[in-house]
Amino acid sequence: MRRGFWGSWGDSVLTSVFIAAVSLALFWMAAFTLWWQMHAWRTPEVLASTRFSRPDGGEGLSFSLLLPARHEQAVLDHTIQRLLESTHDDFEIIVIVGHDDPETTEVARRAEACDPRVRVVVDTHEKKNKPKAMNTALPHCRGDVVGVFDAEDQVHPALLAHVDHAFRSTGADVVQGGVQLINFHSSWYSLRNCLEYFFWFRSRLHLHAQKGFIPLGGNTVFVRTDVLRAADGWDPDCLAEDCDLGVRLSSKGKRVVVAYDSDMVTREETPGTLMSLLKQRTRWNQGFLQVYRKKDWKQLPGFGQRLLARYTLMTPFLQAVTGVIIPLNVAIALFLDVPVGIAFFTFLPAVTALVTFVFEVVGLHDFGKQYGLRVRPVHYLKLIVGGPFYQVLLAGAAIRAVWREQRGRNDWELTSHVGAHLTEVTREDVPA
Amino acid sequence: MTSTLPAVTTSKVPAQRTPVPTTRSTPRTPPSRLRISRPDLVLCAVLLVAVITVQGWNIADYPTLSDDEGTYLAQAWAVQQGEGLAHYTYWYDHPPLGWIQIAVLTWIPALISPESMTVGSMRFAMLLVSAVSAVLVYVLARRLSLPNWAAGLAMVFFGLSPLSVVLQREIFLDNIAVMWTLLAFCLAASPSRHLWHHFGAGIAAAAGVLTKETMLVVLPALFVTMWRHSHRDTRKFAITGAVTACALIGLSYPLFALLKGEFFPGAGHVSLWDGLKYQMTRPGSGFVLDAGSGSYGVLQSWLYYDRVLPLGGLAGALLLLVTWRWSVTARALAGPALTVAILAVVALRPNGYLPAMYIIQALPFLALVLAGGTASVAHAVLRRRRHGGEKEYVTRARYAVAALLVAASAAYVAPRWYDGARTAVTTDANAPYRAAAKWLATEVDRPEDARVLVDDALWLDLVHSGYRPGLGVIWFYKADLDPAVTKTMPHGWRDLDYVVASPTVRRDAVDLPNVKEAMEHSTPIATFGKGPDRIEIRQITGSTAGTDSTGSSGGDR
Repeated sequence: MRRGFWGSWGDSVLTSVFIAAVSLALFWMAAFTLWWQMHAWRTPEVLASTRFSRPDGGEGLSFSLLLPARHEQAVLDHTIQRLLESTHDDFEIIVIVGHDDPETTEVARRAEACDPRVRVVVDTHEKKNKPKAMNTALPHCRGDVVGVFDAEDQVHPALLAHVDHAFRSTGADVVQGGVQLINFHSSWYSLRNCLEYFFWFRSRLHLHAQKGFIPLGGNTVFVRTDVLRAADGWDPDCLAEDCDLGVRLSSKGKRVVVAYDSDMVTREETPGTLMSLLKQRTRWNQGFLQVYRKKDWKQLPGFGQRLLARYTLMTPFLQAVTGVIIPLNVAIALFLDVPVGIAFFTFLPAVTALVTFVFEVVGLHDFGKQYGLRVRPVHYLKLIVGGPFYQVLLAGAAIRAVWREQRGRNDWELTSHVGAHLTEVTREDVPA
Repeated sequence: MTSTLPAVTTSKVPAQRTPVPTTRSTPRTPPSRLRISRPDLVLCAVLLVAVITVQGWNIADYPTLSDDEGTYLAQAWAVQQGEGLAHYTYWYDHPPLGWIQIAVLTWIPALISPESMTVGSMRFAMLLVSAVSAVLVYVLARRLSLPNWAAGLAMVFFGLSPLSVVLQREIFLDNIAVMWTLLAFCLAASPSRHLWHHFGAGIAAAAGVLTKETMLVVLPALFVTMWRHSHRDTRKFAITGAVTACALIGLSYPLFALLKGEFFPGAGHVSLWDGLKYQMTRPGSGFVLDAGSGSYGVLQSWLYYDRVLPLGGLAGALLLLVTWRWSVTARALAGPALTVAILAVVALRPNGYLPAMYIIQALPFLALVLAGGTASVAHAVLRRRRHGGEKEYVTRARYAVAALLVAASAAYVAPRWYDGARTAVTTDANAPYRAAAKWLATEVDRPEDARVLVDDALWLDLVHSGYRPGLGVIWFYKADLDPAVTKTMPHGWRDLDYVVASPTVRRDAVDLPNVKEAMEHSTPIATFGKGPDRIEIRQITGSTAGTDSTGSSGGDR
């Protein structure tokens, strides 16, 4: 032995303490994330409470549904027609198109001509993004409640009636409905992407609503018009304007209700390519970072709430770090000469990750059951094998977001949609 | 590992039949909040005091110290001393969690008074385990929808049966494993059906298995309990979570072996594989119903202490399983009944190894099943086919029959259990051990140089008296079975000074050449007790020991 006994002892103790500390930190992070992810399934009662309660038949509110569309002429008309099938009898659809997008405008104008409930608002901003478009339409809203949908959304006809009932029965200022990516069969990453949505809208978001801090989703979100106007609408400079709105409203103590029903969710599609998924995720991460830096969440009254806010907004970056450290940690335990007791600690985060994995498999099964989709063994295999690669993708998006934010690049990288879910949904509609 | 219960019965009292459980007309509902229910708290507390009193009184002197207790406590002592998992090479005989828990339980008393770390005094730690288990039996009974009096009855069966009193006093891993398993069942039957309660049940079950590996066979019954108590909508998450938790925690044991490089067999080191092979290929003790086999002797030693709980419980379990289709109670108690059935089937292997402490893991479930059966009979007698306009004489007859049954059962059980309890609180079975320990502490000149073979139960006493742990004072069978010990005895028995011949040493010496020779080349210089239970201190004649310089430590770590 080259070094003296005490030197080597001191070194190894330092290494051990360091490894144990990192492992424990990672463990608690993973454990809390898992705990929150499984929120809805804690007890049968919690699960039941996450659903919309059945409408009582009466309708008291009027809706203004915002439908920003940009280069989405392929899917826009279908979405409008589907919205018009809604069973609610007091709503208007405001399609927001850009002045430089004649194809989409043409589709929108045609719909406007066919049905008086459809109106078109043209956004003339030089640099365009979704919050600017929606702020443009906000003064034109006549309804008591403003709802937001995306141009490719599949909206259930009974949704508005349920939302109406939710507003009236709970006294909420905001109602967030469920959004679900459906095309899990498209690719390995769409499978994981679908599942992410499933856990987020089915479970985690309800926890946020309960705790009084909630980053809202981008669509199927309904806000009382006066509340929205008082909050000056959306932040036009934020890349995650939906999250930002949720954080600002909940920081002011506005009441948010989340409801999820598998047959009432808005169906969407995953980004068509891996690159567009990476871009979308980069935008969200950057948006989360912006929201974090805006510090509106500091007005939250509770310490726990602020901690939850801090943690939630930092999640993409923590995720990136853990994705790298967990395998490294296990490798240290296996190949470096650390005491057995310490080596056990290094396995703790991996164990939590494994538990998360198992719950994801069960989640995929439940997802298939809820949506009547056939999940084959190969999909479970893809889920498991794809896990580490998806982690790499998330880490890449997180690093990219930090880099872009540092460079001050915050332009809008929009995801284009091909309508993959539409065929799937049409097939779904065929009675069995 | 090697002990059997000391006495075998001669009495021929027929076992009490468990009354037939029948369908209840009204479904029972579990209490919503056990913690704030005053009748439950009072009943449970009163019974707990009774159980602790009967089990704790005279705990150090009865029953006779067992070799296994000495083994586990000595290994717990080694853990406390920071010597690793045992002072001899840990060879994967059992997962170490059991004596790690004993080490934690006895930590503070051992800090205050190191000499108290002996089998007799540390039996008090087991009182805590018994108390927790007894309360868990009550909670589980309530969660399985038994009325509070029946839950109390289960607690009495579990804590006060003479068989329980004897076995639960001893420092056996099984007692600790039972506590974890009961906790797992309680969590599995959690009325809130919380996902993390079920997850916790998986962890507790794994802790039970890691405390005593035989608990593995009970897991299917736990699974059934969890299935029945989970809700359809959340079941798949709850069950998968529990199974995952149990598997992951359980796998930490092989992982531990892997990290130490002792998973696979190899030259010059112990391995988990060899340990498993040893446990799986232990010589059988014969068919349990074959009079004359070792297993039959073990069975008789249980029935000597109590017949009501083992036979009544077994009959009750079979009846519950048979009446599964019709009886609400049978379905509510499916988990315990299945546990009893599984353990009975395992015990009935044609030539399996049946240790004396085997029945410990069945005790709480036998108690629950017996109490459940009693509740069913009570319901059948008092409530079945009863309606508002029932004639008064019929009602009276019902109560008369109930009173008669209670009186008859009490007349049968009470005297026997009273005798059991009296024996437990008054008998001094360990005077020879104490005297031998005292003699060796005072009459041997330089204990630090002496080399003595003792059984595990006395080992810690001698360590506290100044003998060198491991190679000075030696677990007798290590003189033949542990290469680390035999290599310090190049001249065999001549390297020893004394053999403390307790019943265990005399019994096992037949198969251990070094021990046998040491016995043959020694003469008793002090004898304590009489007959087969006596303890002789035998001095080796022609010893060369005391002059040799031997290795410095017996442990491998």
